[in-house]
Amino acid sequence: MTALRLGLVHAPVMPFTREHRIDFERFAQLIDFHQRHGADALAVPMHAAESVSLPEAEKHAVVAFALKHAKVPVVAHVSEAGSALAAALARQAENTGAAAIVATTPYYWTPPPAMVLEHFAIIGGAVQIPLFVHNAPDDMAGSKVSADLMVKLIGRLANFAGLIDASLDWQFMIELMTLARKARPDFQLIAGNELFVSAAAIGATGMLSSLAAVAPKLIRVLYEGCRTGNLSAARAPQEQVAALRQATKPGGAGVLKAALRVMGRDCGDPRPPLLALDQAAAKSLGEVLAALPALADEPRGFA
Amino acid sequence: MQNKFRGVMQSPVTPLKDDYSLDLPTFERLLDFHVRTGAPAISWPHHKAESLNLTIPERKLFAEAAVKTVAGRVPVTIHVSALAIQDTFELAAHAQKIGADGILAITPYFWNPAREAIYDYFVRLATSIDLPVISYNSPSYLAGVEITGDLMARLIERLPNFVGVKEASFNSEKFLEISRAALKLRPDFAMLTGVEYLLPSVPLGGVGSYSAAGSICPNLCNATFDACMAGDWERARDLQYKLSWLWLLFRDQYPSSLKGGMVMMGRNVGPTRPPLPTATKERQAYIRGQLEELGILESEPHGW
Repeated sequence: MTALRLGLVHAPVMPFTREHRIDFERFAQLIDFHQRHGADALAVPMHAAESVSLPEAEKHAVVAFALKHAKVPVVAHVSEAGSALAAALARQAENTGAAAIVATTPYYWTPPPAMVLEHFAIIGGAVQIPLFVHNAPDDMAGSKVSADLMVKLIGRLANFAGLIDASLDWQFMIELMTLARKARPDFQLIAGNELFVSAAAIGATGMLSSLAAVAPKLIRVLYEGCRTGNLSAARAPQEQVAALRQATKPGGAGVLKAALRVMGRDCGDPRPPLLALDQAAAKSLGEVLAALPALADEPRGFA
Repeated sequence: MQNKFRGVMQSPVTPLKDDYSLDLPTFERLLDFHVRTGAPAISWPHHKAESLNLTIPERKLFAEAAVKTVAGRVPVTIHVSALAIQDTFELAAHAQKIGADGILAITPYFWNPAREAIYDYFVRLATSIDLPVISYNSPSYLAGVEITGDLMARLIERLPNFVGVKEASFNSEKFLEISRAALKLRPDFAMLTGVEYLLPSVPLGGVGSYSAAGSICPNLCNATFDACMAGDWERARDLQYKLSWLWLLFRDQYPSSLKGGMVMMGRNVGPTRPPLPTATKERQAYIRGQLEELGILESEPHGW
């Protein structure tokens, strides 16, 4: 099958009102912003969008809204604890027009490898559109996929298009690509975060970024440098991105939303149980971000 | 100034006789083999050389043999890490006495030292000698004990002879945190990966690595480094995939499988000391099959 080639994929946050309801008006503004500032595709609702805090109906509403509003392809995030629950989200996404689906290892459970394989096979088997597996050990209490499991999944699913990998692990990425490309030559490795230079050297052709909401120009420069093979030249933007990542790393959506507020793109506070940054932490984040030279050129507000 | 520690540097295994005693003539032959096949530097005894299964007198004896045999053709560094830090200090002083070009030292074993204790340790070690010191970062083998970017920056500011790191996390974020902290303060600081992960590290400021596979395929090691330095990423990717496949083959029960593979290349270096196993005939045959499939048997030197 001809799978969607993912390039630079932005993962927007989920704007909430003060009452913690989805702020769709703001979401529309945010989607426009991402499209104007370099997104080749959007992935919604990822963990950066607090997907786990969205009940099923809201997840579906978010995907449907993004599909209606966005001009770029939309990848629907369908991760769940139960395989059938995730498969149901996948079917809904396909019926609504999503370009692809993405799924992590199951939440909470730690099934044996054969059942993790089954989990992905059930999700991917429920649809015709491409499935991307999301390997995110830091998000998933260490739960991760092996190269062997991915090769077995290639054997099971014609629509398993690639891995979005946030492991940062060179040994894993090279082993995966060595084996997966033999089984499926157009298998895609997509970096699951903004540390892209090494992954691109190894053969990653796309990147999933939530920090693009904060520094879209810098992320695009990093991506383009790597895409065009100027890896050594991409080192400077990569170091700036690493500094931004360090500044925003502990705290997930809470810090991301606080950083967006600093950039004039207020998307509200996270839903409980996540905490918003308190005033002191928000102030010190503001100071750290103000000291990052790379942010000086970045857009303020939603323009 | 360009740091002299760069390229794929070779760390020989420790050849043993059938009774597990040191095999000095074979060690000398192996050192010579590495230098003749293009090693830009020699370093001994890494974990691959079963460092922690050797006595301190054995380590001194072979360290001296390494310096004598290499005889200034390329730099020789001595890995001084021992379970007891007293031994580490003694090995460091010995390395200086015998004319080594530097030492290599990992964060202390076993005790899970606090960050401040790691700082004190490296300061004491590096100020106890006048040689260049290369640190060794291996969080996955040492229960997460690691040299962070901040710690590296403090050590560089404090120690003029702190010249590089053997970085064995093989992780984009950890490598980048150290490289961007270190290279800002000391632009010629040697960012070296633990084994040959050159492709993902060179674009981030890496200048080489130590070697797992160099006693099997020195040509492949050097060609991969050259392709990376030339920015020929397509070629580098093909070569790197091969090298990494070999690493996966040897990583299991390291260095038993590697020593088994050396038999297949006509360079028998004897058994591996317990508790590490010695590669069985079946394992050797399996490795031979893999080497054949990768084209290593034709493209690399056979025998000494």
